[in-house]
This record gives sequence, structure tokens and C-alpha cells, in this order.
Amino acid sequence: MGNGEAFFGTLYGNIPAELALYIHIPFCEARCSYCAFNTYVGQRARVPAYVRALQAEMRLAAEALPRVPVSSVYFGGGTPSLLAVDELGALLETCADAFVLIPDVEITLEANPERLSPRDFRAWRALGFNRVSLGMQSAREDELRLFRRTHTLADVRAAVEAARAAGIPSLNLDLIYGVPRQTPAAWRESVQAALALAPDHLSLYSLGVEEKTLLHKQIARGRVPPPDPDLAADMYELAEELLARAGYRHYEISNWARDGHACRHNVHVWRNRPYLGLGAGAHGNVAGARYANLRRPSDYIARVAAVAAGDARSTLLAAPAAEEIAALTPADVYAETVILGLRLTEEGIAPCAFAARFGRDLWTLYGAQLRRLLAWGLLEQSDKGRLRLTPRGRLLANRVFVEFV
Amino acid sequence: MDQSHIRNFCIIAHIDHGKSTLADRMLQLTGTISERDMQAQVLDDMELERERGVTIKASAVRMQYTAADGETYEMNLIDTPGHVDFAYEVSRALQACEGAVLVVDATQGIEAQTLANLYMALEHDLELVAVVNKIDLPAAQPDEVAQEIEDLIGLDAADVLQVSAKTGENVPQVLEAIVRRIPPPKGDRAAPTRALIFDSHYDSYKGVIAYVRVFDGVIRRTDTLRMMSTDTELEPVEIGIFNPHMQPTDSLSAGEVGYIATGLKTVRECRVGDTVTLAEGGAPEPLPGYKQAKPMVFAGFYPADNDDYDALRDALEKLQLNDASLVFEPETSQALNFGFRVGFLGLFHMEIIQERLEREYGLDLVATSPSVEYQVVLRNGDVIVITSPADLPDESEIAEIREPWMFIEIFSPEEYIGAIMELVTGRRGEYVSMEYLDAKRVLLKYRIPLAELIVDFYDRLKSVTRGYASLDYHFDSYRPERLVKLDVLVNKQPVDALAMIVHEDEAYRKGQKLVSRLKRLIPRQLFEVPIQAAVGKRVISRANVKALRKDVLAKCYGGDVTRKKKLLEKQKKGKKRLKMIGNVEVPQEAFMAVLRLNDDD
Repeated sequence: MGNGEAFFGTLYGNIPAELALYIHIPFCEARCSYCAFNTYVGQRARVPAYVRALQAEMRLAAEALPRVPVSSVYFGGGTPSLLAVDELGALLETCADAFVLIPDVEITLEANPERLSPRDFRAWRALGFNRVSLGMQSAREDELRLFRRTHTLADVRAAVEAARAAGIPSLNLDLIYGVPRQTPAAWRESVQAALALAPDHLSLYSLGVEEKTLLHKQIARGRVPPPDPDLAADMYELAEELLARAGYRHYEISNWARDGHACRHNVHVWRNRPYLGLGAGAHGNVAGARYANLRRPSDYIARVAAVAAGDARSTLLAAPAAEEIAALTPADVYAETVILGLRLTEEGIAPCAFAARFGRDLWTLYGAQLRRLLAWGLLEQSDKGRLRLTPRGRLLANRVFVEFV
Repeated sequence: MDQSHIRNFCIIAHIDHGKSTLADRMLQLTGTISERDMQAQVLDDMELERERGVTIKASAVRMQYTAADGETYEMNLIDTPGHVDFAYEVSRALQACEGAVLVVDATQGIEAQTLANLYMALEHDLELVAVVNKIDLPAAQPDEVAQEIEDLIGLDAADVLQVSAKTGENVPQVLEAIVRRIPPPKGDRAAPTRALIFDSHYDSYKGVIAYVRVFDGVIRRTDTLRMMSTDTELEPVEIGIFNPHMQPTDSLSAGEVGYIATGLKTVRECRVGDTVTLAEGGAPEPLPGYKQAKPMVFAGFYPADNDDYDALRDALEKLQLNDASLVFEPETSQALNFGFRVGFLGLFHMEIIQERLEREYGLDLVATSPSVEYQVVLRNGDVIVITSPADLPDESEIAEIREPWMFIEIFSPEEYIGAIMELVTGRRGEYVSMEYLDAKRVLLKYRIPLAELIVDFYDRLKSVTRGYASLDYHFDSYRPERLVKLDVLVNKQPVDALAMIVHEDEAYRKGQKLVSRLKRLIPRQLFEVPIQAAVGKRVISRANVKALRKDVLAKCYGGDVTRKKKLLEKQKKGKKRLKMIGNVEVPQEAFMAVLRLNDDD
């Protein structure tokens, strides 16, 4: 075990020496109409080289870091389930080799619920994946068509069944609300369809219309009505009610889980702890800096190869493929800790924990902002001083966060 | 040069009728400027003017022209501003001349301002050389336009020159006509010196440069001079002529046009229209017609960022160096903090100043809606003058409010008469008369409150007549009217910068429009915000901006906290540009909402 103290330095404060890994798989079979992520269609042929680059990047990053334990590995995308089982296997093997995975490490795979066979789930389980996140998005055909998703509700049902049969211990479903033309009744239908599948975790995302997406164009041209934010707020509140009744805990603005099933990876990020982002366009936060990798897979592959060959070097050794690196100041870290921490709706930010971590008093740093937000009813304070978003504050979280930037 | 060989003239033309192009051709033909140095439209110095295709400030240039009679003449072309707001400057430029070249577009015919300037030229006894321009265009109707000129001002259509300034066709004839038809100046070089200042500009090395036409006597570089209206004495830094750039000379004699570099620090000490004489043995009487330019339109200018207050003051001071008609004084608004009440000759003048502040000085401005100068008679008999609705005393103290009315003339093809009538009467205008200029064109005359004129009247006129109508206006009189102050309350708090003075009969309609417009412009806040329009204590319109319910970033990809922070920073920056009224954030556009109240939407 390496020296965790030296790696974390004082910037991250007094926290467990633990790292999370995010591995980005930027390939998709088709592009969803709302997607503004770093994803590419029709580059299946590039996958083998990309997998090799990821393995090389892991080794380079691990060499630059002390051997701290890794508590979660998250394969996000894109569509990680596009990778062949042996490709995923090779990546996990390198992971386990380069880093120190803790015994009960959480390993998540994001999967597209389409053309998945029970065999896929069994194979993933055998490789060590213990959490699968399915992009269900909606139970309704009209919405799935608007999203340009090619799966059906039946596909989702089959995938969930297969995952359970394979013994995947933690299963998440993603849903999207605030969709153009979506009625509260339609939303209720999707939530209830998801609940009927008894997932361990639910992520409910408000549809964001991002520039340069098909949906943005359709709205700009008047072919699709823009989402109604007030209706989206109603839907959020409806979901809060339905999920609470079904026994899910609302532990983050967009996330609900059964006891013991909160996503460890995301909680780690929201607690503002260091994580490595691996792959094209991945973001990470290690060694006192936030960084973003080169976005285009071809650039990323070439850069990793050059660094591995000693022909190039990143100023942040742990991020050999970084395109942008921003060093963090203590003030950045304090603000990010508050902003990210308040997303955790149950945990929030506890001044005593903040003081224990940074040796700074939260109220001295942000007294004016906190008083304002409490007065506006966007934050609330427990008996022990813990600060959390109020139900209204969850819907107006930007108004809270903007006070700290 | 002896006076018989001098010709002083100006060009009268409507915007886009080809004044600058014709001037360029003359400069080329007389060799004043070489082909190589030919910068399109030399007379229009400023970038802004070129873009707008109008001349804001007058300028002058001297040409040497050898005429058909073999003699060489000194021809002084004095440029005139092309917009109605600068009528007084035009009159001073005309006074400096013995003749004028009237330029009319062969495809458009004569326009309202041209006619107004033409009448002004006739009042000054100027000899006219009429020119129909753009005969190269397929749509040109030179004979019809020449006939129109004959009908309007009695010049023989046969004497109207038909030219194309663009191709140069027949332009030499214009120069010949200037020599033959425009009389030479008849000043007395032995009389006490009198020179008319017809324009000025500020030069950071030589101080204010006065553009002068010498009527009597001589000005020498070594003379001590006196400005007759301000009694300012000065020793010129330099005197000279425009050739076309400033070229020093030793003297300027009666009949000549040139400049005096005064060394003065502001154009206010050297006013357009004033007479320059010698400090010793000066003229007993100034030249006639001097008056001080009077601002008619007022608006509050506030820096969008309060930190720019000093920069705004500096910029206004710099603009004032060149513009004696620009006045300003500090003003405080509850909503907009510290700024200035700025006075302008007209709306066009205001637009130019605003644009220059933003473009040349990089300032981000919030301008309140423009106001006129009201005379308020109080119950105790006092009369006060206000230029801002915020300054209107309480209703109970007011006996009467008087507002300025203008006399306007509109030229238009006859098919738009109905639309123009509707526009003018919808703005409290009073019909005066209508004359047919020819079978298709009419001249409409009205009286209308200036307050109605300055709020996008010109744009509306252009729009209802598809750009064919032209407008001229001048002050008519002050009239008592049933005027009331329309207050706007945001979250129950009156907003001084949004108050306006309106006619009682219009209060309800304007109040409703303003409220519905503000409802759209004011973003949703954390709480519900009522917006009300009120006259006195009576609320006449109300709307609510609903409380904001949702403002949250959805999923962020792969832990991209940086992007999320950037979005929050953008949001924060956007908030900084909002003005706080109480605890309501109001965008800057809201303060201009009043300007668009007459749109049909």
C-alpha cells in the first residue's frame, strides 16, 4: 500500500485514502435525440484500439499515483454494453492489476436494454460486475420514439429478468421526465412501470435540451414543443411521492435507492473525493486538479500511445490524455464540496464534518450565503446543524449553488 | 483670391440621394484628391456616418476649378448634416453659402427634409443649381422629377441638370453651372472683420477648430480674435483652409471659407452660429441668426455595471467636446443607481450618442425611455420645467402641465395617406393640411406632441409607408394638456425609471401594454412578483410573474463538475447584469419596454 497521505495532500482535507475510477466508452449504435455527451456512432472498428489505449492509460495513471485503494469502478458512456465480454474482461483485468481494488469494490456497467441476452448478464456477473444501470428512459413508445431509442418496454422487462436471473445484486433504471408533450399521467405510467420491475435504484433525470442535439433543432424549428418547466416540477414532485411510498430513499437530487443500494461511485463524487476519469473526454479530479481528456477517440488513442512511448508527457502525470487541466485552490475545493455535497439530499453538508475535513468553519466561509438561502427557504438546518436542500430547494438547486461560485 | 473668383455652395439632398458620391466626383474632377487617395465619401469622416449613410457633422472642402472660360475658381463646398435633428446646423451652413446644389434622386423624387432645407435655402436667398441624380438607373424618371422641381420651386425644368454621380455622366456641367449661376460673395474687405462659425470639431492638439466663412474684413494668424456671443478672446493657434485636409495659411479674407484653430478646450466656448471678430476694432454687430442649440429630448443613461460610472462621465465629456448640443447632468435613480440625464436635439441624435458610447467607448448602457421637457404650473403659481417623469410633483400641487407640440410635414405617395392619418391621429396628432405635389405624391401637415413623435414614430412611419414617406419637423408651441404620471410598481414598489407621463385618455391602454410587456421581460423569481400600473393611487393594470419552480441542472456527464461550474458562473454573470428593484431582479431591456408600446402585438 502506497502513501495515501502524500497523494491526497492537504487540499482534499482529511478523508479516507480512496479512489474511484470512471471509464468512458464513447461508442453508440445510434444517437439519442437529446444526447450531448461525448459519443460516436459507427466507430465499432475502433473499439479494439480504444480498449488497448484504456489499458495503457490505466497503467500510466496508476504509475503516477500511490497505491491507494479503489472503491468503485464505473463504466459509463456512450454504451459500455457494446463492448464484447472479452474486451470488458481485459479492461477489468488491467484495472485489478494496476490498482488496488477493495474486496467489495462496486463495479457498474451502463447498458442499453436492447438485444441483451441472459448470457450477457451471466458473463458480466462472472467478470465481477455487481451493478448494472439500464437506460430505460420511458415506458411509452411515443416518448422512446421522440428520444430515438430503439428499445421497447418489453426489452427492458426482459433485461431486468435476465439481470436478476444472472444474480446481478444491484440494478438501476434511468427515466427521463419533463419531456415535450409528456403529461403527468404519462409520467406516472413510466414510474409505475419501472417500480413494477422492482429495481434497487432509480435515476430520474429532467430532460435538458442541449445545443447541437437533434431535439434542440426540432424545438428550434417548432416541430416539437419545448419542455414545460412547471410541468416538470409537478412530475418531480409526483415521483418523489410515488417512490417514497414504494420504499425508496431520495438520497440525491435525481437519485433514489433501496437501503444499501445508493450508488457508491456517485456518492464518492458528490462527496468531492478524488476520482480518475479514463477514456476519451472523461473528466477526473486527482492530485489537486480537475482535468478533461481529449474528446475524440482517435486523438485520445494517439495521445496515450505517444505518452506510453515516452514521446509526450502530460503536466498532470495521473492524466496522460488530459486536454484541459485546472489546478484547484482551497477556495475551489471548499465551494465544490458544498455544491456537490448539497446534492446529497439526506446527507447534505454537516459543518462539523466540514470542519473535521478542512479545519475551516463553514459559517465563517459562507455565512452570508447560507443565511440568505435559509431565509429563502431553499436550505434547511437540522438540530445538529446539518444543512440540506428543502423540497423546494431540490427543484431550485441552481439558485442555491450559484451562491457559492 | 479676389471674391469674383470664389464660389461658396452646399449640397442639399435627402439621405441616399447621392450627395456624397457627387461630392466625391467633384473632388476628383478638380484634382483636389487623387484617384489613389480616393476614399469613398471623403466628407463623411466617421465610421458610424458611413454605415448609416448620413452625414452627422458638417464639413468643408476647397477645390480649385478651371472653368470653360479659362479662369480658375476657388470653390468651397460646405457639407450639411442630413438629418432633421440638425436643422439649426443646416441653417448655419446655408448662411455661409451664396448658392446650393439641390440633388434629387431620379427614381425617388423630392423628399420632406429636402424640401424643408430647400425652403431654408430660399429664405437665405441662395441661388439654386438643381440636379437630378442616378439617371443611370433603369427606374430613373429624370424628366418627371425635373418637372416636379419646377412645380415645387419654380425652377425651369429645362435648367435642371441630369447626371449620374456614380458614372460621372454630366458632372462637369454641374461645376460649370456653379461657376455661372451662383454669385460670388460680396463682402467688404475693408470693413470690420466678421466671420460666421458654421461648424466646429475638437482636436486634441489644436483645441477647438472653428469652421468659418469670412463675410467682412480679414483674419490674420497674428490677430487676437473675439467670439461675439460669449465674449471669449483668443489668439489662434493656426488658421487655414481645407484642401481637403487642414492646410495652414496666413490669412482668410472676406468671401473665403477656412478654419481657425482656437486652442479652446470645449466647443461650448465656440458655438456654431456665433460671429468671430477682431478683439481690437471689432465689428459692432454680429452676423444675424445666432441661437443656442436647445435639447428637446431627454433620457437617463446608466452604466449597466455601476463601476462604469466614471467611464460614462468621461465618455460623455469627450463627446461633448465635439457636440455643443449634447447636455448632461448627474441623475440618481432608485432602480438604476447613478447615471446621467442627457439632453439631445432629437431622437436620432440620441441614437447616435448611445451608439457611439457603446461602440467607441465600449460602454454597456441602460437607457431609460426618452422624455420631453414639460412645463408644470403649480397651484402656487410657480412654473417648473421637468425633463424626467420622476421629477413630476404630486398631483395635488399641479395646476396644469404643458407639453411641447411640433409642426410636422410628411411627404408620401398618395396610397399611404390612410395609413399615415391613422398613425398620426392615433398619436394625438392634429390635421393641418394636405397638398398634392403631383398626381401621386402628397404633402401632409400636422401638429403632434413631441412626446408622441420621439417614441418610434419615425420607424412606424417608414414601416406603414414601406419606406416611401419622409418627415420633417420643427417646434410649434407649448400647450396645456390633460397629462398624468403613469407609475409602474414592481412587487408593490414604484420604479422611478419606468414612470412615464401620458395623456389621461391613453393611460389605461399604455398601462396595460406596459404591464403585459414587463411580465414577459421580468424573469420568474423565487417568489411571485406583482407588476402594476397606476395613476396616482389608482391601479389600472396588474399582472403577476409566477414564482420560479424549477432551476436545476440535470445529469452531468462523467462527473464533469467543471462544465457545471461554468454554467453556474454564467448564470451568476447573467444575474450581475440584472438590476435589483427591491429584491426583484429586472433585466435592462425592461427599462426600454416603454419604447415599444405602440407596436401591435
